[in-house]
Amino acid sequence: MEGHVQGRMSERFLSLSDSVINWSRKFSLWPMFFGLSCCFVEEAAAFTSRYDLARFGAEVLRPSPRQSDLLIVSGTVFKKVAPVVLRLYEQMPEPKWVISMGSCANSGGMFDVYSVVQGVDQIIPVDIYVPGCPPRPEALLQGLVLLQEKIESLEKPARRVFHLGGGSQGTEAPILVDGINKTRDTRGTGYEAVPIRGTAATPRPSNFWGNRADDMWVPPARRIELSEPDRLVAEAVTARFGDAVRVDSGASDMLTFYVEQGSIKDVLLFLKTESRTKYKRLDDLTAIDESARRDKVWSSSLSQGFTDIGGGQAERAAGRKYPDFTMVYQLLSFDTATRVRVKTGLNAQTPATASVTGIWPSANWYEREVFDLFGIGFEGHPSLRRIIMPDYWEGHPLRKDYPGRATSMPPYTISDAMLDQPIDARELMKRDREDISGKHEFFLNIGPHHVSTHGLLRCVAELEGEEIRRLDLEIGYHHRAKEKLAEHQTWHQFIPYCDRVDYLAGSNSEMSYLLAVEKLADIKVPDRAQMIRILVCELYRLSNHLVWFSTFAHDLGAMTPNFYTFVEREQILDVIELITGGRLHPEWFRIGGVANDLPNGWKEAVDNLVRIFPGRLDEYERLIRKNPIFMARTKGIGRMSLDEAMDWGITGPNLRACGLEWDLRKKTPYSGYDQLDFEVPTDTGGDCYARYLVRVEEMRQSIRIIKQVAANMPAGSYITDQYRYTVPRRDEMLRDIETLINHFINVSSGPKMPRGEAYAASEVPRGEQGYFLVSDGLGYPYRLRIRGPGFANVQALPLMAQGESIADLISIIGSMDYILPDIDR
Amino acid sequence: MSPWEPGVFSLILYTIMVVAFVASQLFLAAWLGEKKPSVEKSRPYECGVIPTGTARFRYPVPFYLVAIFFLIFDIEGAYIFTWAVVYEEAGMPALIQMSFFIILLLVGLFYIWKHGGLDWKATYKEE
Repeated sequence: MEGHVQGRMSERFLSLSDSVINWSRKFSLWPMFFGLSCCFVEEAAAFTSRYDLARFGAEVLRPSPRQSDLLIVSGTVFKKVAPVVLRLYEQMPEPKWVISMGSCANSGGMFDVYSVVQGVDQIIPVDIYVPGCPPRPEALLQGLVLLQEKIESLEKPARRVFHLGGGSQGTEAPILVDGINKTRDTRGTGYEAVPIRGTAATPRPSNFWGNRADDMWVPPARRIELSEPDRLVAEAVTARFGDAVRVDSGASDMLTFYVEQGSIKDVLLFLKTESRTKYKRLDDLTAIDESARRDKVWSSSLSQGFTDIGGGQAERAAGRKYPDFTMVYQLLSFDTATRVRVKTGLNAQTPATASVTGIWPSANWYEREVFDLFGIGFEGHPSLRRIIMPDYWEGHPLRKDYPGRATSMPPYTISDAMLDQPIDARELMKRDREDISGKHEFFLNIGPHHVSTHGLLRCVAELEGEEIRRLDLEIGYHHRAKEKLAEHQTWHQFIPYCDRVDYLAGSNSEMSYLLAVEKLADIKVPDRAQMIRILVCELYRLSNHLVWFSTFAHDLGAMTPNFYTFVEREQILDVIELITGGRLHPEWFRIGGVANDLPNGWKEAVDNLVRIFPGRLDEYERLIRKNPIFMARTKGIGRMSLDEAMDWGITGPNLRACGLEWDLRKKTPYSGYDQLDFEVPTDTGGDCYARYLVRVEEMRQSIRIIKQVAANMPAGSYITDQYRYTVPRRDEMLRDIETLINHFINVSSGPKMPRGEAYAASEVPRGEQGYFLVSDGLGYPYRLRIRGPGFANVQALPLMAQGESIADLISIIGSMDYILPDIDR
Repeated sequence: MSPWEPGVFSLILYTIMVVAFVASQLFLAAWLGEKKPSVEKSRPYECGVIPTGTARFRYPVPFYLVAIFFLIFDIEGAYIFTWAVVYEEAGMPALIQMSFFIILLLVGLFYIWKHGGLDWKATYKEE
């Protein structure tokens, strides 16, 4: 009897303790500052003033796992970073909880591709799933509240706390295993009889039997007439190199040479140093796997019956073999603001060509990327090794015979995450240099998980005290394989992926992509649509620069600007939401225009923003511009000379901060920027402070542009009438059968694009972002290449940081304003 | 002095209470809660990757030099303060002696300054 009473007493004590502990825990959750991709931007917004995460007791985000008990997996879990995610989870103290935020973390989302784990629940247990791509901050708050409810109603921690056995606390969900308690089947239940798209049963689009695209007619690709300077360059090159060089007269976008493999280096050197137009910058370097071409003729111009200086017909006459791979070099001249493309064909299963790192130092990463993704070797490259994929990776993903889909590969499991560790820092440094034997050698990893690396970038520093002797960067932790994904998305379906190439710049990436598509097929965009595009792009530029402003200040120790600038950022996103319906990823531009007309009330919202923004910006500037600590941390730090910047392919505000007035909106005006009055701010400092000044001034110029666009919005249609290529206006689609057919085809099998290739670049907030499209005359790109500004900008980071202190590295990173999905793509 | 003297008794009691309180806090913090030790958890946190090498090595600390100089000059300050207390009594000779002392210190400070002892600059640059 007495024992029974005692038992009841202790039960009562335990249940009281449960309530007290649960109550304390649910109102003091400590989320970790851990972001993987886009979703983290919304997570960060949840922590700033409008959404104010602190209301729910989850105060500031903690930078270390030791101080956190809530892991919010916000964004795409990449196979390369999965071991890091697992380690961070393991390093958190007990008890701990996990929220999986966004479609990618939940299931892989729209990234069913080789580099992405199809759901974080395959490696760590998950309490709450927050759906969305990305979920809005409110959705995350809802997730947090649900977690609090779960803690309160389902957990009995007292027995655990007092070591009595039994009880429950923290995440106790099982880790999911494919085929047992989870399915990665892309078809969903009930569709088991249907073959999975993209597998052997339904081969690649290019091999589809009876592909409808072949029955459709489209006008041939756009063709340019060479300008006088281009013609002179072409003549000079053909005169100098004779038979080794042929000019493609069917190019859609720029002067294009085919060069014999042996002469490629000489031709490039000639173009850089001797040609009358000097192409100083290596704009881009990539490759095309030609093995899946449907019609293996030499050039696109040939198939359409054009004659040219020496293109396809000569090839055929000479009986040359169609190349297995094509190397594509693209150069830019600062003097004439023109580009030139140089192509060379490679044959053999393991092809190789000469490295051009001797001509452009920036070719280093580009060639490593081609080596990694295509398996093409480069003779004379200083350190040819994988750059995007981890070392243990097998195969070269951008080859046509590489499957590509994650769901057709074995599932990524927790044992993979334990085995496939990121390479050891010393090993990494030793690869390029044998002379690591300093007395004080010390290797420090800054990233992949670090508050100040602004994403999944790993800096490995060899330190002498707090000085950086050498810095190496390991990228590829954010590789979402968009170039591979593009090969099985229709021209329209790819638009949402563009937004995710630079998730802070929203529609700007859509703009670059669509400029290329429209160039290829010669699509005319109505004036109104062009101006609407500029309006949205400039709004995103403001939003991006505000995030940069606050994070830069944050990196240098000033947290307050974060809470201020996000107020205006939210206001901008409200305007964008009013217009497009989206926040981060509107996916609102369409081939030949935009998705819909401007809504009622857009003008008032924009005017309101334009009215208050300059004053607010001045106010925020006063917080830091003349702050002595800010100046000490930025002036003279991370200096880069203009010559270096041009040689390394630096673009955007970072280039302009070195003193060159170079902005694509001015130099190669697109989408009607030439009708607008604005200035290109520059500075000659070349240091972190100069980069700050340029960006802040750019915000003022953006406001100027927005003001003009809003005041002079032209009337007319928001989308082109070339319905062959686009999603037609809905009102017309519902009225006549022709338009209905266009609509049906373009949203199902995709619009057919003429055979050819085109490159277009636009000035996104971070620099020059270009898309190079290769069409094989289908509804899908044959190859899509993204030239991200970050790739070139970040490659030059060691140049600025070596010899400086670690604190300066943080300042340099903050001033560079890069974003990982645009580097790793 | 008797141990039952009121002052001593309360001191002893106070000491015992403090020790007991601190001990109980330490014990509760160590004992309460679930422990799940693992290799990963006991590994140092370094941005999510496995750290390279050991943390026990000789490490150049520029701050060290500044700190040492500060200590030296700070101790000199102690002499000056004591002199300030007896300033009236010590009179003119002490003023002259102390002035000499302070000037000597200043010379030392300028010497260090000139030789870069106070600079916190990068000593290494890529060749």
